[in-house]
Formats: sequence, structure tokens, C-alpha cells
Amino acid sequence: MTEIIKEGSGHRTHIKSPLMRESLMDRKVLTATDSEQVIPILPDVHVVHIGGASILDRGKDAILPLLDEVVRCRREYKIILGVGGGARMRHTYHIALDLGIPTGGLAMVAGAVNEQNRYMVQALLAKHGGVVLHKDHYVVLPLWLASGMIPILSGMPPYHYWEPPTGLDRVPYYREDFGMFMVSEVLGAASMIYVKDEDGLYTADPKKDELAEFIPGITAGELLARDLPDLIIDRSVVENMLHARNTRRVQILNGLKPELLGRALAGEPVGTVITAPKEDPADGR
Amino acid sequence: MAADTPPRKSIPTPLGEGTLNAPDFLAGADYGPPIRVLPDVNVIKIGGQSFFDRGRAAVWPLVEELAACAKQHQIILGMGGGTRSRHAYSIGLGLGLPTGVIAAIGSSTSLQNAHMMQMLMAKHGGILVSFEEFEKLPMFLRSGGIPIMVGMPPFHHWERPPVTGRIPANRTDAGVYLMAEFLGARSCIFVKDEKGLYTDDPKKNPEAKFIERITAKELLDMNPNDLVIERVVLEYMQRAAHVREVQVINGLKPGNLTQALNGDHVGTIITAP
Repeated sequence: MTEIIKEGSGHRTHIKSPLMRESLMDRKVLTATDSEQVIPILPDVHVVHIGGASILDRGKDAILPLLDEVVRCRREYKIILGVGGGARMRHTYHIALDLGIPTGGLAMVAGAVNEQNRYMVQALLAKHGGVVLHKDHYVVLPLWLASGMIPILSGMPPYHYWEPPTGLDRVPYYREDFGMFMVSEVLGAASMIYVKDEDGLYTADPKKDELAEFIPGITAGELLARDLPDLIIDRSVVENMLHARNTRRVQILNGLKPELLGRALAGEPVGTVITAPKEDPADGR
Repeated sequence: MAADTPPRKSIPTPLGEGTLNAPDFLAGADYGPPIRVLPDVNVIKIGGQSFFDRGRAAVWPLVEELAACAKQHQIILGMGGGTRSRHAYSIGLGLGLPTGVIAAIGSSTSLQNAHMMQMLMAKHGGILVSFEEFEKLPMFLRSGGIPIMVGMPPFHHWERPPVTGRIPANRTDAGVYLMAEFLGARSCIFVKDEKGLYTDDPKKNPEAKFIERITAKELLDMNPNDLVIERVVLEYMQRAAHVREVQVINGLKPGNLTQALNGDHVGTIITAP
């Protein structure tokens, strides 16, 4: 039976639990809540994020073949799609910064661009079961997946005005790549795949530097230590992989070669695979 | 990139052409500082376990003091969770649930407290404001209302995995602080049941010494095992544009809140960096 504990007269009332009376800022208490693994909530689902600037801004010729591949793969795999922002988001940031809008305001308005992209992708996938997944409906996911739907999310995490300050960087740190990473992490998904317009990660931006070298595989710790000038995937993903309980492997592939998606879903490394092995001293916690 | 690659439709801006991760992203643009959205507002966090769970003996006098203060100051209240959050965390952690689910669970307790606080404050103008109504704050404040909000940030399933353990790093202190920072608030005050910050938990260690003023960085560098305020708040403060000072006060002592709102130093002041 639940035990109610009162301290003195008219003082604190506690419900008996191991965290009762403890400070949740206390490291000893926090460490005691650690565990190697947490339960995977939907372990057979695959999270696939479609880049905004990299894919969606390229229009029909890039989008349609990729969505055909998504539909083909859906027969075999449960897929949740995320969509990025792209050029309009960049323009939103520019105008908002010029107006003096603080970081939380940028995060709040930026998501509308993802929503536009989400509506477009949903319209294209509707006949194949594409449905818009609002974050409030997150807990209804099992129903949609069981009925063969392809839920489509706006990639931005719902941090909105509460986006942590980013100092001189000004733009939100937690963006679409991170939002979809968290979907994969919380659900304990089978895989997290980022669909971009390059074969994967390079030592520099291959669009600007032709000497940039392709990196087929790297650990998150090594990648952060290399402090590369640009990254095709948001740094916040790589950093948070180090503390992840479920998603310690993500793959970046080239969506302009749509057939790669099916191979990646089958577990094949076809682009850049970033891992955060727990036994790696740089990556372990 | 292949020659037949479909071209990107772009919109020209002064921003760098690489990704948003590139260090030169903002280099070509000269944006001024961010504005303060509601510069006159004072954001006050009411502790859950440390205050609200004490019931009427603690809360009723504070309600009266808040009502009196609201005549001179614009006030937004953010509510903590408390012992029911801990109980739910404890069960959820035992079930092996991920941090994102634990965070979603935590919000409900904070919402219960916000509802109760609203009922207590209703006769003084207390209004429960949901995240969806956030943009209506100016109207609520102008009509003399006292907005009351859930302290937990809306991160829910998107709460990132913490460095240590599985309890969400962003809880009600963080949510309330981030709201104050976004609003560019005049002050951010944390009402707890201790005078402020001590070198150790004064409830457990009688030798613990009181700290009147400290920087967030000093506090993090001291690397104390325990803290009166969530660690992430100290990290956020160092990158904040507006709220670079917070005060932790003992709300059990009548008059402390009034003095703190008047700018007096009655608890522990933590400043950035």
C-alpha cells in the first residue's frame, strides 16, 4: 500500500518511493537511476529522415523516386518519416534574426517550414497510407503502424520558445536531425537513417572542397574530436549519441540514389555509419 | 555530385552556404542583439517538493504575498512537480522506460500543481496558461491577470538522454528559466524552502555553509555532488542573452518574495558566466 509520510506538523508530505526526500540534482541519486538499456518501445520501426535543403528543395526529380522507394520498402518494414526544412527555414532564420527575435522565437517559427514539407510529402504518400503525425498523437503510433500507414513528422523537436540559448550562434541548436534522432532513441527503433544529397560524411563540405574525403564509418567520439569544419548531420545528434540508451548507430545515405534506402533498411552500410560503441573510452560514459 | 543532379531551389540570404553546423554560418551577417519580448515581467518558480508539497502552511501565505506583489509587478508563475513526480519517476525507471517517457510523465504533476495554484489564485486574477496560449500572455498581463504555467518544458518525448542516469536533465527549474530567458524577463526568482545555496544539503549536513552570491561557472567548477537548482540552468545561463542572474529564495519567510521583486538580495544570487 502507498505510504504517505509527513515530516513534522504542516511540513513536507512525501509518498514513499526510492526518490522520496532525495534531491534529483544529487549525482549519487542520478547515478542510481542509470541502466545499460531501456525498453525499446517500438523495436521494429525504422526512422527515416528526409533532408530539407538536400532533398526536398530539389523538387520533384529528387523527391518522387525517393518516395517510390519508401513505398516499396514499406511492404517489408515499418517506417516513420521525418521531413526537414531547407531554404525557407534558412530565410526564416535570416529575417527573424534581423528583426531581433530571440533563439526561442526562431525555434518556434522555424517548424512551420517543416510543416509545409510534411503536408507536401503527405499529399504524395496519401494513396500509400501517408498520414501526418502530430506530436500530440505520438502515443497512437502503434495503431497507425499496425494498419500499414506511413506516419510523417515535422523533424523539429517541440522545444519551441523553450529552446536553450545558443549564445553567439543564435540559431536553435536542436533541429530536425536531432528531433528525428530522439524519435528513434525513445522508440528504441531498429534503425535511424538520414537521407541527404551526398554519399555521407566527408572531411569537409564536398560541395565547396573537392579534396574532401569520404568517411564510410566513424565513431561519434572520434567525429567530435576531429572538429570538422562542417558536418552533414547536426552536431547535436552526434553529441547525444554518446548518452543514448538505444540509438547508438545512425546511417547517412544519398537519397539521390534511392535504391540505397532499401539496402540500408536491410542493414547494409551504404553511406556513412556513425556509431557510439559503449566500450569505446571516447564514447562510453 | 553527378551532372544530372536536380538543382536546389534556394533563396539568397547573407547566411553562409554550408550547413547550419558550419562555423562561418553567421559570419557574413551582422545581426543586432535579440529583443526582450516582455521586459517588465518577473518569472517566479514555485518549488514542488521544496514548497508546494508543504501544503497550506506554506502556500496560503505565499498566495497572499503574490497577490500583493502583483499590484506593483507583472508576474508569471511556473509550477514545480514534487513528490508525486518522484513517485512516478521511480516507478517508470523501474519499468525501464526511456528518459523521454519519464519527462512526459513528469509534466502531469506540474500541471496538477498549476491547476491547484490557479484555484487558490483565481480571486486575485490567477489564470492557467497552456503552452498553446503562450502568445496571449500580453493580454493576460495587461488585464491584471497572474498567468500560471506548467514548469516542465514542452520537450516531453524529445527530452535528450542525460549524461548521468535516466531522470530528465530539463525539469521545472529549466523550463521556467528558459521561459524567462526567451521573454527577456526583468527577473527570474526560484522560491524554495531554503535560504538559497549551501555548500552541501543543509537538510542532511548541519556543517553546510550558506553561499550569498556565486557565478554559474564557479558553481559548476566546484562540481558539488548536489545543487539547489538544476545543473542545466547553470549551463544555459552562460549562453543567455538576457537572464544572466537568478535568485533562489526561501519562500517560507514572509516578505522575502516582495523584497526579491524589489531587487533586494535575500537569498542566493547566481550570475553568469
